[in-house]
Amino acid sequence: MTIKHILVGALVASTTMVPAMAQDNTDITVVLSEELDLVEPCMATRSNIGRVILQNISETLTELDVRGDKGLMPRLADSWEDKGDGTWQFKLHPGVTFSDGTALDAADVKHSFDRVFSDQMTCESARYFADTALTFTVVDDLTVDVKAEPAQPILPLLMSLVTIVPSETPMEFVRQPVGTGPYEMTEWTAGQQIVLTRRDSYWGAQPEVTKATYLFRSEPAVRAGMVAAGEADIAPQITAEVADNKATDFSYLNSETVYLRIDNADAPTSDIRVRKALNAAIEREAFIGTVLPDGTELAVAMTPPTTLGWNPDLSPPAYDPELAKTLLAEAKADGVDVSLPIEIVARTENFPNVTEVSEALVQMFNEVGFNATLRMVEVAEHEQYYSKPYPESEGTRLVLAQHDNSRGDPAFSMFFKYASQGTQSGVNDPKVDDLIARASAATGEERAALWSELFAYVHDEIVADVLLFHMVGLSRVSERLDFTPTIATNQQLQLAEIGFK
Amino acid sequence: MFKLIGQRAIASLLSLLGLMVLVFFLSRLTGDPAVLFLPIDATEEMKANFRALHGLDAPLLEQFARYVLDLLQFDFGESLRKARPAIDVVMEAYAWTLPLALITLSLVIVAAIVLGSLAAFNVGGFFDRLVSIVSLIGASAPDFWIAIVAIVIFAINLGWLPTSGVGTPLHWVLPVAVLFIRPFGLIVQVVRGSMLSALSAAYVKTARAKGVKNLPIIFVHTLRNAMLPVITVIGDQAAAMLNGAVIVETIFGFPGIGKLMIDSILQRDFNVVLAAIMVTAIAIFIMNILIDIAYGVLDPRIRN
Repeated sequence: MTIKHILVGALVASTTMVPAMAQDNTDITVVLSEELDLVEPCMATRSNIGRVILQNISETLTELDVRGDKGLMPRLADSWEDKGDGTWQFKLHPGVTFSDGTALDAADVKHSFDRVFSDQMTCESARYFADTALTFTVVDDLTVDVKAEPAQPILPLLMSLVTIVPSETPMEFVRQPVGTGPYEMTEWTAGQQIVLTRRDSYWGAQPEVTKATYLFRSEPAVRAGMVAAGEADIAPQITAEVADNKATDFSYLNSETVYLRIDNADAPTSDIRVRKALNAAIEREAFIGTVLPDGTELAVAMTPPTTLGWNPDLSPPAYDPELAKTLLAEAKADGVDVSLPIEIVARTENFPNVTEVSEALVQMFNEVGFNATLRMVEVAEHEQYYSKPYPESEGTRLVLAQHDNSRGDPAFSMFFKYASQGTQSGVNDPKVDDLIARASAATGEERAALWSELFAYVHDEIVADVLLFHMVGLSRVSERLDFTPTIATNQQLQLAEIGFK
Repeated sequence: MFKLIGQRAIASLLSLLGLMVLVFFLSRLTGDPAVLFLPIDATEEMKANFRALHGLDAPLLEQFARYVLDLLQFDFGESLRKARPAIDVVMEAYAWTLPLALITLSLVIVAAIVLGSLAAFNVGGFFDRLVSIVSLIGASAPDFWIAIVAIVIFAINLGWLPTSGVGTPLHWVLPVAVLFIRPFGLIVQVVRGSMLSALSAAYVKTARAKGVKNLPIIFVHTLRNAMLPVITVIGDQAAAMLNGAVIVETIFGFPGIGKLMIDSILQRDFNVVLAAIMVTAIAIFIMNILIDIAYGVLDPRIRN
């Protein structure tokens, strides 16, 4: 047998080999970038876990509509009422059952929060209640009072972050989550796949998707290729380089904001003219469509435009290198040592093309007269620079970071990033602290107005940092699906929202 | 021979103990796992609770003593991130790495020996050119690039093979093929060089003078004498494969030990790091014994 015969034989044989393709029925395959270490409901606010669990297996009392303008919506709670004195009363939807067949009642809500705050495990959602003590009182099977000390005006919103589990759930991480959602986990092969199957006994409307198989591939080109090859139906978080098919690739704001954190206490950035010069030195538009995907928006706040109190009157600093040079010259004339080193600290793989973005920033700073350098670090080292106490340095460090807020309220961002006690804050300003405290305690229009005022103050008055971009997410979706990814896709992927064409 | 293997076993055991001590303390130097497990805005109370739950708040020597005591009972501890026994996590991954390494290595050895020998026997001929081309690709093209190109051609454009995953035998074709290229390129060159040297020996000329045919000369008389350096290189390549194939595992979604080890190091999942390194070290130790035996089989001088 000649080589030619062997090759022809292999070619013929190969045409009969049909790889496993995505199903052409109502089963779908989702390929995610990161494998799940846990499938624990109380960790559902971690994005990789949330995309599988949140509102699919486990549901919350309330749900925030981050895509539209419906605001906070009922989920397991039909209604809620402020009873005064920091107490909120939640009325549960009747007739809800868990996937183990037991009925949802108020005791399950209490137990779910007991787990979150238990010292026998470390639940991520506990962080949202850091300075708040919650007391749960079961009024009847379908009514629970929650008293917050100090009073928490956004308690109903915070309820959208804690998933409800049955009272029988142990005080340890579970591997077989039981929830009230429209799906139950029917298979978890660690390292390979997770399968969710639709529950016939779900209390709400039956979703169209009958079964969802989750696969995990860390390489974006492979994820995109799997949809192209028909092996998967949805591939979130692909990169601009591989998003080359307009029919299947969607771009959307993904709730992440990229910014440079300035330590306002360090020289030379303690001088507002230096901070203004840093902002004026950057040609922000030049990044978009080049190293960042089209659709990326210029940031004027730490949170995306869908957040309460978003201030439409703010505009990004104009690119004005001459102004930057003038400001630096003025600062220098007043004795500010503008030649002090400024080290940009950025994290590898923080977002696509982070190295290119960082290098361009350094170059733009140096072109107007700064003495800037770049240090790319791994996630663990980045954390040392990002969170207090900040390491000493000659001159200062600007930390390039990406912050996610898809929770709808600036409370999840502004304290940490701007309050004088905030873990990642570079600001120590009494007015900022006052506005954060008042906005956090306010409700309704007053709350929105105070957040709006704070956004303007940190952006225009004290120029606290270098806000850069509201980032864009890219997902590939099979043409057979009726599904458009949105800003919510960063944290969750509700199978009930997926239809078929 | 048995004495040699016994000596090697004792030396390997001592290396294993040293490795355990080194990895335990070096991994602790990388920092606090609570920082990476918990979100960036986690409270100090949450971090302290995490450390207490996993015994990370105890003095380092106490942690080490507890680890050694547990290890004596074959307990490698619990994965900090996966909340289940670290050894289970590691063995699951190894169950994928081991067959991948064995299949690839077997194909590499057979192909490299046959093609390397034929190339040496007919320098400048078809097999020699084929060997040169594959060696060049193996040495110069990055695994990452080859893997992506292979997926684009064979999975997306032609649709012959799945892009990635582990569901069927077809899923193994691309990972094995990509993993094959680099060690094949290396080993085939060693086989070729070693065979060239052996083919010029006096006993080969004698065999030819006595009318022995080409194939017996290559595969019966010469190959055995040319194999010692080849075995050494095979051992190196096998050790690399037993450590996992990070690139191939990452791109093809292959749940092997290489990616697990990298992820565990980056996430400071100490118990998984230690378990993975110990299991890998034991596998390499067993492989070294097999190589020693192979040396003895091929060369009676070593055996005696």
